[in-house]
Amino acid sequence: MRNKLILFWIIMAITLAGIFIIYKKPTSLGLDLVGGSRLMLEAQTSDAVPKITPEIMDSLQYAIENRVNAMGVGETIVQRVGLKRLLVEIPNITDTSKAKEFIGQTAQLEFKRPILGENGEIAWESTGLTGKDLKKSLVGSTPATGEWMVELEFNAQGAQKFSDLTKELTGKQMAIFFNGKLQSAPRVNEQITGGRAQITGGEGGFEYTEAKEMVDLLNAGALPVGAEVIQEESVGPTLGLDSINKSKVAGIVGVSAVMLFMILYYRVLGLISCFALLIYCILNFAIFKIIPVTLTLTGIAGFILSIGMAIDANILIFERTKEELKMGRSLYTAINSGFDRAFTSIFDSNVSTIMTCLILYYFGASMVKGFALTLIIGVCLSMFSAITVTKNFMHLIFGSNELKYPQLFGLKKEDIENTFVAQETKREKAKFGVLD
Amino acid sequence: MANTEKKKLKLDIVKYRYVWLGFSALLLIPCIIAVLFLTITQPNHAPLKLGIDFTGGTILQYSIDKKLSTDDISKMREDLAKIGIKSPVIQATTQMSTEGDKEAKNLVSIRTIFLGDKKGQETVDKTTNLISSEFSGAQLVQVNSVGPTLGSELLKNTMIALVLAFVAMVVYISFRFHTEYGWIALLALIHDALIVVGVFAIKGIFFDTAIDSLFITAILTVIGYSINDTIVVFDRIRENMRFLAKKKSTNEIIDISVNQTLARSVNTSATTLFTLFALYFFGGSTIKDFVLAIIIGVAIGTYSSIFVAGTTLAIVKEHMNKKQHA
Repeated sequence: MRNKLILFWIIMAITLAGIFIIYKKPTSLGLDLVGGSRLMLEAQTSDAVPKITPEIMDSLQYAIENRVNAMGVGETIVQRVGLKRLLVEIPNITDTSKAKEFIGQTAQLEFKRPILGENGEIAWESTGLTGKDLKKSLVGSTPATGEWMVELEFNAQGAQKFSDLTKELTGKQMAIFFNGKLQSAPRVNEQITGGRAQITGGEGGFEYTEAKEMVDLLNAGALPVGAEVIQEESVGPTLGLDSINKSKVAGIVGVSAVMLFMILYYRVLGLISCFALLIYCILNFAIFKIIPVTLTLTGIAGFILSIGMAIDANILIFERTKEELKMGRSLYTAINSGFDRAFTSIFDSNVSTIMTCLILYYFGASMVKGFALTLIIGVCLSMFSAITVTKNFMHLIFGSNELKYPQLFGLKKEDIENTFVAQETKREKAKFGVLD
Repeated sequence: MANTEKKKLKLDIVKYRYVWLGFSALLLIPCIIAVLFLTITQPNHAPLKLGIDFTGGTILQYSIDKKLSTDDISKMREDLAKIGIKSPVIQATTQMSTEGDKEAKNLVSIRTIFLGDKKGQETVDKTTNLISSEFSGAQLVQVNSVGPTLGSELLKNTMIALVLAFVAMVVYISFRFHTEYGWIALLALIHDALIVVGVFAIKGIFFDTAIDSLFITAILTVIGYSINDTIVVFDRIRENMRFLAKKKSTNEIIDISVNQTLARSVNTSATTLFTLFALYFFGGSTIKDFVLAIIIGVAIGTYSSIFVAGTTLAIVKEHMNKKQHA
């Protein structure tokens, strides 16, 4: 009995810790609940890059991360999926056209020298100085007119190239191309050795946003390969909020219905299972927050389904205990043997559920993974809640008392000792504490 | 003792086995017809109407103030054709709002070819402009795009997952029980999966319901759940075989075992169905079909564990006994 009390307090302590964690840690909600966009990008091979290597993916991921972060829209996620895909999650933004444009844009900066074209007009020729030679860039404004401009700072190699180029082009024009578009073509007055340059926005100057976007793209670095959107999902914030509210209602209604049924059918035992279920829900949410599991609509569905399954273990045990009671066993032995006999069923059935969930998790799309994960957590936890929590409560409440009021278990008096008699081995008898 | 025993038996499982199996057959026939019908008539020869997850494509969902009539929809179809969207699937739904003061929402979803790339984006913008000019309060609430190559890849992965799940179940049960239990469990699983698939094939024929990767999740969940029920029954049969084999015939043991687990099977399904119905009626709209598939599967899974698994085992055991004696 003392052991049982100690266990009881341990369970209570864990539950309190669970409540504390739920209270303290924020819930991370999936995009389908808060609203936002999810894009799946696939790296495209080209003649220049015939094979996508992990290194290319690294730099692609880095560049995309920088770009997404530059959008400044909160917690964005860029994740590798498989060998050549990136999953980009952007909360709060549902108009993906802007995001896609920004993410997919290349950032090719080129410095070109003038040559004489075939028909006598000026054409531009590459010089080998490109965005790759940049250290960083900033938005600045011209001291004279206050127009927005883009300031460039070259790395050591770039500074050398720039110095050589300006020496070569002194007295001539030098053109700066961004993404194939001529941005400005200033006249070079003298050799520039400091490794710094500016791009001014031609006649009217840059808009601030224009300059800022160019700087962001330059700092993020050029994409090493093209990236195509192959999957896109976006959910408006109102729909997300609606889904949260609906899931809450569904959860409360579902749990209440289960509890009501359990109490009506199993009486005192049902009440015990309700408390066990409550603890189960608390611990489950605490685990969601510890891992942390990002809750999605399907994840919540998995959780609510797992409630139905968690109660299954209780039902198995109660049915078994009732049968043992019908055989005329004492309460204590009935509870013990009820648990013991129900265990193989609970174990086998949970293993099979876990197996299907693992398969789902491995092969499923992200939506499916959420469902599989919450269901796995639920099933594992339900073993603990049914076997440890429910059993402990039953022992503490009934102790070693005799069964005086079978109605409390939803049994009738005449049911007792009125059923098939199973036979046990001596070992099992010793285990359950049967005294014949 | 023997008399009270008989009185307490609620269901004669083995005696009426052909009735129970006949009922299953009755359910299966329309399902199989629907599946065959779709397999033959659909150009891609899929047994179900496939959603964009598997075929690739884009679904745009708008919320609008007005409830759409069929005339509105056919006009929308014509207008969409003008901006280059050929034969879109247009579905209008009305949804209750969770906040009591707001009116029900009208949603219209337009399924087209894949518009996720740069070229497609223009078409999306055009569509949004078109819808906003025609209906007041129009708002793009949800966009889903799946590229065609990703679609066929998802379909492949899904098939692998399904086959793996079936194999894993059979291997596990054969390992924990006898081999014949494994095959019978597989039969029960196929029975359950076929009925869920059949119902959605029928829904596909009459309501154009297309399946997505969530549907496959539902099928796998149903498999996991239904095997639970079957295992509990088999576990009881195994246990009773050990204790009662000398006193009772196999058929009697199966009867007793199924009846002993009956309350558990029904109660467990009931509690699971409570939570599922709560999800169906009160939960998010995007997972309605998913939940419906699980509801059907859980109900059928319970039926098959009570009425199909035990009866089939009785038939197989009888057959095996005959062979042994011959």
